Amino acid sequence: MTEQLTVEVSAGPVEVTRGGEGPPVVYMHSSLGDTWWGSWCDELDRTVYIPAHPGFAGSGGYGSIDDMEDLVFHYDELFDALGLDTFALVGQSLGGWIAAEYAVRWPRRVDRLVLVGAAGLRVEGAPVPDMWRQRPPELAELLFADPNQPLALMMRSFDRSDPPPEDVLLPFVQAQQTTARLAWNPYLHDPKLPRRLGRVTCPSLVVWGAEDRFVPIAHGEEYARLLPEARLVRVEGAGHLPLMERPAEAGRAIREHLA
Amino acid sequence: MRFFAFHLMPYPYLPSDFEQRYDSAWVWLPNELYDPQVGHALYHEYLDDLLLAEELGFDGVCVNEHHQNAYGLMPSPNLFAAILARQTQRVKIAVIGNALPLYDPPTRVAEEMAIIDVLSNGRLIAGMVVGGGPEYFSFSVNPSFARERFNEALELVLRAWTEPGPFEHYGKHYKLRYVNPWPRPVQQPHPPVWIPGIGSLETMELVARNRWAYMGIPYFHMRVFERNFDLFRRACHDQGYEPDPEQMGWLVPIFVGETDAEARAAFEEHVWYFVRKLLPGIDASPPGYTSPRSAVKIIGAASDFMLNCRSWEEIVEGSYVICGSPDTVTERLAERAERLGVGNLLGLFRLGSLGAEDARRSMRLFAEEVMPRLRGSGA
Repeated sequence: MTEQLTVEVSAGPVEVTRGGEGPPVVYMHSSLGDTWWGSWCDELDRTVYIPAHPGFAGSGGYGSIDDMEDLVFHYDELFDALGLDTFALVGQSLGGWIAAEYAVRWPRRVDRLVLVGAAGLRVEGAPVPDMWRQRPPELAELLFADPNQPLALMMRSFDRSDPPPEDVLLPFVQAQQTTARLAWNPYLHDPKLPRRLGRVTCPSLVVWGAEDRFVPIAHGEEYARLLPEARLVRVEGAGHLPLMERPAEAGRAIREHLA
Repeated sequence: MRFFAFHLMPYPYLPSDFEQRYDSAWVWLPNELYDPQVGHALYHEYLDDLLLAEELGFDGVCVNEHHQNAYGLMPSPNLFAAILARQTQRVKIAVIGNALPLYDPPTRVAEEMAIIDVLSNGRLIAGMVVGGGPEYFSFSVNPSFARERFNEALELVLRAWTEPGPFEHYGKHYKLRYVNPWPRPVQQPHPPVWIPGIGSLETMELVARNRWAYMGIPYFHMRVFERNFDLFRRACHDQGYEPDPEQMGWLVPIFVGETDAEARAAFEEHVWYFVRKLLPGIDASPPGYTSPRSAVKIIGAASDFMLNCRSWEEIVEGSYVICGSPDTVTERLAERAERLGVGNLLGLFRLGSLGAEDARRSMRLFAEEVMPRLRGSGA
């Protein structure tokens, strides 16, 4: 059973999906806008909160969030509004980067950290392809191990000369705009993050798709090296988004880490 | 009607198998393909084209700004405008324009444009643009702030020209403690401002409110221009006035030959060079560069863009270019300029790989046989 809440904070309304029972877990979604209850959440036996980033789903606030700094303050305000004192923080891709930036600023609020295919670092020799140079079909190839994953199928069928209707396109375009605002330059990373990761005080789990062609696993290794108490888990058969492609395996690994 | 010769300064020597090897003439096209020795001759030829325009009686010449591409070789149009300011005596020099969000601080634009205005003794037309989508890749400037930076920079440049300095500018994107540019422009209170638009109502409203001039962004089907100029007139009516035709400009590739058949035979392959080699990549639209609503509209309007033309019939039907004998060109331009209600015609004469000789012959025919009749018609 999930429910949708709208929480007002100073930047605007935040749409939050909440479900499950137990101690709180907050999920920071990827730039594909996976704000829904994924089946990996069922594995956790926890209350999972999934806020939509500004400009995603029903969340406003795009105009007040200029950069990552604004965004993590926005989330700190949201967690207060939700009455969450300490919680486990899980993030995938863009959301993994946000989770890491939050955890280095408020380490005592985060009792477990989980980074899944997280952006946020720049690793020499392991570049992240330019997501905005790719057309949707090419991007699908970089993101998914399985070309027949439903979202991959949708992206692969995108044809510029015969685009989908406006109401289908609009949420994607809006989401891209937020991602660009945070991640255009420096591209999908924060040069100051590596030297701050040592501030995290809780145990961290780093989850990576064995077939991630977008953010190379070298980034996962670097997170695992820089975070004080961290373990890296590879998920076979998954690309950049293990929570979408291998929800049961990834979910179980997270449950073990939260126990 | 006023007549301008618009130059892009294209690179006409891309390899014949370009389409098989590259998907874009922009941002990522390897610059090894540019030959500086060839480029030396080209720049001089291209500047000579614009000097010829003055000799032939055009009212103005136009240059513009693009980066890291083969489509237009003027990353700094101000350098070319400065040369023209010294080498011409009479024509307006329209820089359309400087891509304001790429200049930091944008007072650089106020300075350089003032130089051009002073050098030319008040002949500058100051075009201000957001810059094309590809420029945000080339400069790594965050496209999601493009409109904000443009608005702030535009206000700053105008203030730098009109308000006695030194003053402080304290904005979101630029914080300048002492704004006090020397020189100041000759034209008072400031040079005429032209702003190109692709149909955004916000841009039209800005131009209408300030009684500046609105230029239609080229390479769209005629119906797109019609709709945009109608919307612009409406924006002026909303401000309580009827726009002067000189507040509107139509930019279109033009070729004049002896006969329709001869014109097409001389021009067509260069149109396809332009469409197939130079335009690919111009439509890069990075996220946040336009509002999400505009972005989906632009994606939906792809079929009205010249890049997607496959046949000469489509090119002619959409008035993507105006090509033919002096009679044909006169008649088509007169009819369309009247329909659009524009008082400035910006002709692109050196399109794609068109050589100097053909382009100049076409410019002469245009100046001798088309311009006088269009002026006489009062269009």
